[in-house]
Amino acid sequence: MNSTEPQIDRPNRRHEPSDNDTNVVLKGIGVSGGIAIGQVVLIERVTTEIFPQCMLGPEEVSLEVDRFTDAVKEAAAQMREIKKSMARRSPTDDHLYILDSHIMLLEDRMFFQGTKDAIVKDKVNAEWALSEIVSGIIKAFETIEDEYLRERARDIHFVADRVMGILTGGPAERKLPQLPPNSVVVAHDMSPADTAQLPRGRVLGFAIDMGGRTSHTAIMARSLKIPAVTGLEKITRRVFTGDTIIVDGTTGVIIINPGPDVIIRYRDRAELYRHYTQSLMPFGRLPAVTRDGAHSVRIMANIEFLDEAPVAREHGCEGIGLFRTEYLFMGRSDLPSEEEQLAVYRRVVEENAPNPVTIRSLDVGGDKLSPVLNLFPETNPAMGLRAIRLCFARIDLFKSQLRAILRAGVYGNCRLLIPMISGLQEVRRTREILEEVKDQLRRDGLPFSEQVPLGILVEVPSAVAIADLLAKEVDFFSIGTNDLIQYTLAIDRLNEQVNYLYDTLHPAILRLIRYINEAGQVRGIQVAMCGEMAGDPLNVPILIGMGLSELSMNPLSIPLVKKLIRSVTIEECQQLTRRAFKMQSAEEIHDFLETWLMEHFPNDHFVSR
Amino acid sequence: MEMTGSHAEKRLTVTTELGLHARVATSIARKLQNFVCEVTLVKDGMEADARSVLGLLLLAATPGSEVTVRAEGPDSQEAITEITRLLEDE
Repeated sequence: MNSTEPQIDRPNRRHEPSDNDTNVVLKGIGVSGGIAIGQVVLIERVTTEIFPQCMLGPEEVSLEVDRFTDAVKEAAAQMREIKKSMARRSPTDDHLYILDSHIMLLEDRMFFQGTKDAIVKDKVNAEWALSEIVSGIIKAFETIEDEYLRERARDIHFVADRVMGILTGGPAERKLPQLPPNSVVVAHDMSPADTAQLPRGRVLGFAIDMGGRTSHTAIMARSLKIPAVTGLEKITRRVFTGDTIIVDGTTGVIIINPGPDVIIRYRDRAELYRHYTQSLMPFGRLPAVTRDGAHSVRIMANIEFLDEAPVAREHGCEGIGLFRTEYLFMGRSDLPSEEEQLAVYRRVVEENAPNPVTIRSLDVGGDKLSPVLNLFPETNPAMGLRAIRLCFARIDLFKSQLRAILRAGVYGNCRLLIPMISGLQEVRRTREILEEVKDQLRRDGLPFSEQVPLGILVEVPSAVAIADLLAKEVDFFSIGTNDLIQYTLAIDRLNEQVNYLYDTLHPAILRLIRYINEAGQVRGIQVAMCGEMAGDPLNVPILIGMGLSELSMNPLSIPLVKKLIRSVTIEECQQLTRRAFKMQSAEEIHDFLETWLMEHFPNDHFVSR
Repeated sequence: MEMTGSHAEKRLTVTTELGLHARVATSIARKLQNFVCEVTLVKDGMEADARSVLGLLLLAATPGSEVTVRAEGPDSQEAITEITRLLEDE
């Protein structure tokens, strides 16, 4: 560690006694693939326990108040600086406004005046007063029912940590000044300001207590292709800076202080992974045409954030088959404006032109947006007011999104995808609204595209049953397998008691897919698939055998899927499909496909172990 | 509204779309920077300094909640008018 580390007496160090054992294994959520072996750099959250309480003499009190005031000013200055540099780097960054709200918190009376009052009243040092005030505020927030409001407690943490860092003269504002090479960053949580400051190139991996797949660290790690595991809960209490650590971002496994044999094994595995992914990358640049040249498939990417688009293109996507828009609406107290949405849609459409970008209209349940929309709680949100139903209920919200999408269409090749359609009326109502929106745009004199195709996400069983009728009224189908399977088999994937029944290759599911595709082909409309099913090589031969012509998937799966498609012929896929349709259970079909792949391509690792 | 000299008090129902959320709380705190009176919001017996965004958020006042605005100072009536506008309009 550097020499500026605060020399503070730490009567009770925050860590539990170190596990001297080697090979301590923790399991979290693998959010960015690959293996990193490096040295821990623990980014400690400055917490109350490590600052002893000091009683002040009467003459010291006003000096202490000044010291606190200066620290807050310094914190505000630092945050403005970070904001400026972030704005330079990526002016449309979603995190700029978070930084703004953090700067405002610094001046908040409860926080600022509250701490000053506590210093004066209790005659204590600023660190102690601050930690008392902050933990009081956080406790109060924890009792709030509203999820959005409760989350604000994290903002206060980030802000208080920065001030605390300045007060203690410690590694100021959690800067990561001297990250040695081969660092694995271990932290409780990473704020947008933290991640913005990471020196790129020295961080091999991340292991984080908090967060899931869409946490800020996860997104950044994926865009930088750094292995990352989140949701580890207590890793910050199990490691010290300098510990050796293995991060397996593919499986979500962390190994602390691995023994020499384990290191060797993981080095081999990391090498294999690198070699394997690198050797696959060239396939991304090739078209996905079957070996016999008879069938070509358009391979697209599913993405959620603008940051992911460059990685998707590098992996060889030929457009975006699913651009999720939910994040624009979440984690905030108001609705995104039309202009704000336009800026995002425009960029993704422009960057991918002339390839198509399929923008899915808002696909969440009211439960996820309750802070913004103030809807009544529902007992069964999965079957409640969500997706297109929510859009019809909040027509203002829907219209502003449609306006932004139509306007983005001017900048490239943009398609509109409507989720959760269950009947024809919903398609017709959507068309009506689209016409209204276009009229309005004309009246407003704003440029927009008249040619944005309207497609539907086929994911509700009733939509499959009337696919022949729907095909007459829409421009394309995209099969959303995740929900289709869940609704068809009546299985909640997140329910551990029943999710063993969730079978992608259930004969019922395969029949539905075949039917949807046939209904589309009769009317000559494009049939795509954008569920997770499309990205698993195991399913690809049968999807091709059924005749699907567009598959959209996690960007990282693209090179392998392309390689597989280039290895098969349409005839063998059709033959395989005919055989699979004679089988009676998901298990039988699964085994058959697995064996088929391993027999035909013993050296290609199409089947994951 | 009840008024005695520099004291003013008013009960009102929050009707902004999202209740007393971050944006409204910020507007109130900012607005009060131009006032000298002390303003307190009370909801279900819980009090918050109207100049503190954190305090206002902690009231967790959803649309339809009843709050009392209490102001103490020479410009208290104007302050209450402004706050009423922010909590009832939009």
